[in-house]
Amino acid sequence: MLSIKNLVKIYDDGTEALKDVSFDVDDGEFLIIIGLSGSGKSTLLRCINRLIEPTEGQIIWNGEDVTEADSNHLREVRRQIGMIFQHFNLVKRSSVLKNVLAGRLGYTNPMLSLINRFSQADIEMAYEALRRAGIEDQAHKRADELSGGQQQRVGIARALMQNPKMILADEPVASLDPVLAHTILGYLEKINKEDNITVLCSLHYLDLVQRYATRVIGLRNGKVVYRGSGEDIRKMTDEEFKQIYGEEAERVRVGPDSSEDVDGEKING
Amino acid sequence: MAKEVEQKNTKAKRKKRKNPALIKKPESRVPGELSGLLSLLIPGLGHIVIGEIGRGFILFGSIFSMILMFVWRIELLAHLEPNLLSMYNKALSRRPVFILLLTFGIILLWLWNAWDAYRIRKKREYNRIKIFILVIAVFFVLGWQIGEINPYKMITRFPETLTPISRVLWPWKAAFTHKTLRVSAKAAILAPPGGNPPPPSVENPNKPYLLAEPTSGNLSRLDENYKMIPGTTITLTGKNFKPDTKTEIWWIDPIGNKFQLRQNGKYVSVITDEKGSFKMKVIMPYRLIPPSSKGKMIHHVEAVQVSPVGGVIINEPLKLAVSRMVETIFMGMIATLFGIILSIPVSFLAARNLMAGSWVTLIIYYITRTIINIIRSIEPLIWALIAVVWVGLGPFAGIIALTFHSIAALSKLYSEAIESIDPGPIEAIQATGATHLQTILYAVVPQMIPPFISFSIYRWDINVRMSTVIGLVGGGGIGFILVQYIRLLDYRAAGIAVWFIAITVALLDYISSEIRRRIV
Ligand SMILES: Nc1ncnc2c1ncn2[C@@H]1O[C@H](COP(=O)(O)OP(=O)(O)OP(=O)(O)O)[C@@H](O)[C@H]1O
Ligand SMILES: [Mg+2]
Repeated sequence: MLSIKNLVKIYDDGTEALKDVSFDVDDGEFLIIIGLSGSGKSTLLRCINRLIEPTEGQIIWNGEDVTEADSNHLREVRRQIGMIFQHFNLVKRSSVLKNVLAGRLGYTNPMLSLINRFSQADIEMAYEALRRAGIEDQAHKRADELSGGQQQRVGIARALMQNPKMILADEPVASLDPVLAHTILGYLEKINKEDNITVLCSLHYLDLVQRYATRVIGLRNGKVVYRGSGEDIRKMTDEEFKQIYGEEAERVRVGPDSSEDVDGEKING
Repeated sequence: MAKEVEQKNTKAKRKKRKNPALIKKPESRVPGELSGLLSLLIPGLGHIVIGEIGRGFILFGSIFSMILMFVWRIELLAHLEPNLLSMYNKALSRRPVFILLLTFGIILLWLWNAWDAYRIRKKREYNRIKIFILVIAVFFVLGWQIGEINPYKMITRFPETLTPISRVLWPWKAAFTHKTLRVSAKAAILAPPGGNPPPPSVENPNKPYLLAEPTSGNLSRLDENYKMIPGTTITLTGKNFKPDTKTEIWWIDPIGNKFQLRQNGKYVSVITDEKGSFKMKVIMPYRLIPPSSKGKMIHHVEAVQVSPVGGVIINEPLKLAVSRMVETIFMGMIATLFGIILSIPVSFLAARNLMAGSWVTLIIYYITRTIINIIRSIEPLIWALIAVVWVGLGPFAGIIALTFHSIAALSKLYSEAIESIDPGPIEAIQATGATHLQTILYAVVPQMIPPFISFSIYRWDINVRMSTVIGLVGGGGIGFILVQYIRLLDYRAAGIAVWFIAITVALLDYISSEIRRRIV
């Protein structure tokens, strides 16, 4: 569904963030990208929907080269790819509902959205997305009044509004505590399995990677240094992990099902 | 061994932290006696020689400037004297406390500075702050004199300010008047006597009437030594006036000048009895009649009762204050509106994150910033002075001044709001496949609105406040009448204006903080 070919990104200041990165993503995968801070994970994910312009290489999305797309076509590609962020990137002063509705912008007539209009269907869809995320009752709060975990669910609900075929998640749990990390990733996994939405996610912690990945790619200084299946990484010891990953690798000591016990943060639906 | 060193080190560190004033002396080969001597010759020189350069320059600079200012003040006090010594003596006799304090202060400081240079060289640890306390003390004495500070005046003059202050604080007597009914009667008096005195007034049972006894006499006058010789005492009998009412006695001279009689420094008045009658004695006043006036010098004495009837009348100062206050508020509002409209485009040019793209835009950014900062640093009152020259006295000049200042101030605030915008939502909205315009509407505008509103209201608040004083320099609004009333010593009318300013500003304060609290 997505294949990255010889991707290179050199920033204006000369930083080589990606050096000849190539890999494929298949339908329904939960592909996790691991790598040290500064290894180029965020750059890679943002190149896929061209939030960052790649310097060289190709990004083939369902047979079409995204790097060649004009702005109309690019927007069409973008709306098929949902994105969630480490810092949630919600419009803090807008309501939760409005944040979620923003996920429909790619489908909305630009003129209508000028006057702040969404169709009734969109609004119902937004409530449904919030209900699935278990935060329906928060719909009319301001986004910044929510807890971190709730905000990330708003972020996921916004991505789901795009009816995406794939979700890009840039360290979606890095600013959450470990327990919440499992609830959020569990929710992503559920979406991945139930809705058959491919997930491409960057993560830091070996525990989480082992628990959720169907495939893993390791980045180091902008280069792919590891490729392995979910089984491969589950067999991996800390030492091996550290070797490919670097010194900073850490384990989170939280059981994978502890999410079920946490009050108020349980995902329903 | 190594441990010991470590311990020592930590000890030293602890000591250092305990008292930052205790600092080790610098390394130098100049002996302490020499550095002291050098600083005695020229303040600070010894310090500089032993490597205490900053301290040396500060001491030199302060002692040198103290002496200069001291000489300046002595010259001001005794500029007629031929030489410095006699000037000093004269100044000493005029302001002994000040001159002595300063003389001793500077000498002490000079000696201390030499001692300081010696001490720093000799002693390892030494409290180095104290000398600067003396420096500040000497400057304080100078400042006291230069500022012409005079608490004695403040206290002794205070009673004089009580009347104006009380009028300003409670000015409402001047705000309203009543319609009044005036009851009066006159009696004629010939002065100086000679010829036929006028006949006594005719009694009429229905009309108020005033009888003077006698109907001729001498006015008070001044002798060669300007001592007052009292005139003839006249007995006044009044009848048919309003009972139990204060009655003022007025004097009307032959050329028609009218004034209320004063005796022993007080206005003469009497209160009628229950039948409306009174009887009193007055001395004929001192009055200069121009020699050109001819004919019989007939003066009149008049008894007047003024009593309020009917409803209140709003006085001119109150009407004027209201209308000028409205003018003021509109001045502030219009200036704010102009300021907002004009500063929005400017703020984009002054936002670094938007202008960092190329060197052309960066140059525009720097130019805009510089202009904004210059305009902003000049007070609106000064802009008003310029605008008055430009478009003449009146509210328009005030609006121009406030608008100018608002553009600069708002541009700065707005551009800072633009700079501090969170890029996260922008990329998130872009990632949904939104257009450029949609991204601005959904990610940028929501972030901009609260600071824009908040800063605009803040500015409106400032502008209305400023417009109350901008009239002081001719920029229209309530300040314009305020300064006039103060110059005319009409403290009640000024007080009304002050009250309106205070009420408006307080209300505005409340409203604007309330709006901001709700929006932001
Ligand atoms: N806008 C930019 N301009 C210049 N260099 C950049 C820019 N953004 C990122 N870089 C550099 O590119 C490299 C890769 O950064 P990137 O943010 O992709 O790393 P990352 O793996 O996401 O790190 P982290 O885990 O800390 O988020 C880093 O060396 C970074 O300094
Ligand atoms: Mg990153």
